[in-house]
Amino acid sequence: MTRALTIGTGLLLAAVLVMGAYLYSLRRHEQARAQTLPDTRPISAPVTGPPSRVTLYVANDDPGAVRPEKVSIALPTDPAERGREILRALVGEYVKRPSAHELPASADIKDVFLVGGDTAVVDTTEAFAAGHPSGVLVETLTVASLVKTLTANLPGVTRVKILVDGKERETLAGHADLECFYDVVTVEQLLEQLR
Amino acid sequence: MLWSNFPPGTRGAARAAAVAALLLVLLASAPSNEEKQLSIYGPRVSYSLPVSQHEGQEYVALLEALEPFGNVAARADGAKWKLRFRNLDAEFRRDASVGKVAGRKVGLPGPFVLENNRGLVPLRALPAILGLMLATRTEYHEAGRRLFLGGVATHFTADSRENGLNLNFTAPVNPLVSTEPGKLRMTFTRDAVVASPNVLRLENPLVSSITFSESNGQAELVVMGRVPLLAQFAADRRAIEIVAAPGEAQNVPPPVLPGVSPAPEPVPAAVAVPPPPTLQSLTARPGFVVMLDAGHGGDDRGALLSETLEEKGVTLAFARRLRSELQAHGISVVMSRDADVTVAVEQRAAMADAARVAIYLTLHAASQGRGVRVYTAMINSASGKPGGFVPWDTAQARYVLSSRALADLIRAELGKHEIPGSELSAPLKPLNNVAAAALAIEVAPSADDVSSVSAGGYQQRIAAAIAEAVVVARPRVEAER
Repeated sequence: MTRALTIGTGLLLAAVLVMGAYLYSLRRHEQARAQTLPDTRPISAPVTGPPSRVTLYVANDDPGAVRPEKVSIALPTDPAERGREILRALVGEYVKRPSAHELPASADIKDVFLVGGDTAVVDTTEAFAAGHPSGVLVETLTVASLVKTLTANLPGVTRVKILVDGKERETLAGHADLECFYDVVTVEQLLEQLR
Repeated sequence: MLWSNFPPGTRGAARAAAVAALLLVLLASAPSNEEKQLSIYGPRVSYSLPVSQHEGQEYVALLEALEPFGNVAARADGAKWKLRFRNLDAEFRRDASVGKVAGRKVGLPGPFVLENNRGLVPLRALPAILGLMLATRTEYHEAGRRLFLGGVATHFTADSRENGLNLNFTAPVNPLVSTEPGKLRMTFTRDAVVASPNVLRLENPLVSSITFSESNGQAELVVMGRVPLLAQFAADRRAIEIVAAPGEAQNVPPPVLPGVSPAPEPVPAAVAVPPPPTLQSLTARPGFVVMLDAGHGGDDRGALLSETLEEKGVTLAFARRLRSELQAHGISVVMSRDADVTVAVEQRAAMADAARVAIYLTLHAASQGRGVRVYTAMINSASGKPGGFVPWDTAQARYVLSSRALADLIRAELGKHEIPGSELSAPLKPLNNVAAAALAIEVAPSADDVSSVSAGGYQQRIAAAIAEAVVVARPRVEAER
């Protein structure tokens, strides 16, 4: 009786362990698949409006620079929506192939919120951070180009906060701080060093 | 076993035996105060490696021993461990006492150890293995754990004079100088200084004897003084002048005539010798500590620099090299990690602040660009005297000017070593949280090949440049603390 009980308990334990390992591998597999698939969810409705000339501050990994580029894009009248469209145009430069500062094809800007007149909150997609190249310089260039492009085109905005998929994140890809608010003055100083 | 199981008369003896056994076990397992190390001296590089103990024998990691000489790769394949250096191969098998190096069989005085995919060979076999891999002559000083490659050696002569003693070396030297009562001690970690271990007695009014010895990867010259002594270095670092410390020159006793009277008893040397600038940069002081923070580690691999090269491994190897360089200049170093372990970013800053380090260097590696990028915190400077409580998020504000000055020096030293360097500010965690001069060093490849970022020679040159900059910056950093 005792022997049968021991064998039965052992078999049950083994079954639990095998099932646990199987579930864990399924979860890992699903997570890996979700990260590699392009994010095809619609983010926002296309905007319409008269074409406007805006300046994008475009990053270049080699030799490490952020340079102004004038483009003409259709912009809505709402300032937050304008900010979003301008940043989407900027990220569009990075998802092209080839690009001097490559970001994953599904990287995008989900939204821009204006808070209190001087602060902008930029919400990026999960793929924007998950597939971002890792490195102090590349991450710094991304942050500087986003902040400078936004503050240059939205008068009054002096501080920028970057979120990933609606949530605060410690770093962009292991280096650049995403828990802080970026101040336009310190970003200007960085851009001066890059010139 | 319970005490009650022993017969009443033997309980006391059993207890005593158990306590003695426990003490023996504790003593045997207590970590040694001094980490065992091997120093290797080559024509271009000198470095130290940690020595570990396995079954009563001393072992050293073969990959780390070869890294400073160029690209080397190793992989474990079951019980086999294969290493490739330049176009030469070496192969060992776990627990086997024979290996194959550059096509030749090499006997090992103990079994080959495979530990976490690191191949360890008995220390006594290393001279033969390095000799074959580097095709060079080796000379091993076993008692001092010092290995000399390619006939490299720095000899010296002692020239006794009335107002002191001149030590002349055949190559520039960079010893750590310290004083103890009656002694001036020079420790050579990175210099291949050699001599017969002996005591040279002198009939000199200041110096009674010089003793040369080797131990634990270091050579040591101890100058016994009759008065407090001071060491002064020539500009080319090939000569050291031993003179009386300031204020003691007038107390120099007259020269002792041979056979007339015994030498006077040594008097205590000045414990706090006011050092001249050249000496100041060489003498370690309690309180001046550099923290090396090898970026990432453990679960956080950092950037994937190539298919097989992870940032966390590159930063750790570089941190170890930089530690050796700084220690060779007499600078105390603490590491945020010395193994592949996870350390939270904020914990790294907390460690630096708790240790009250003078300089914090966080080390990173990248595949983009060329050379070395030096980063300071992206923060506005704030006035105010350091000390007291500081806000966590802006702890760096009071030190950022000091950080920028150090970054300037590092870039200048990199230029002297012909390494491209640039200087930027960056929003890198945790620079803002460090209450000390704080920089990030990002090492990029030296050539098109990304793997050059992990090349031993390249990392060694960068480490040498940074260490020299820290030595130059030290007086300013100390003054501003």
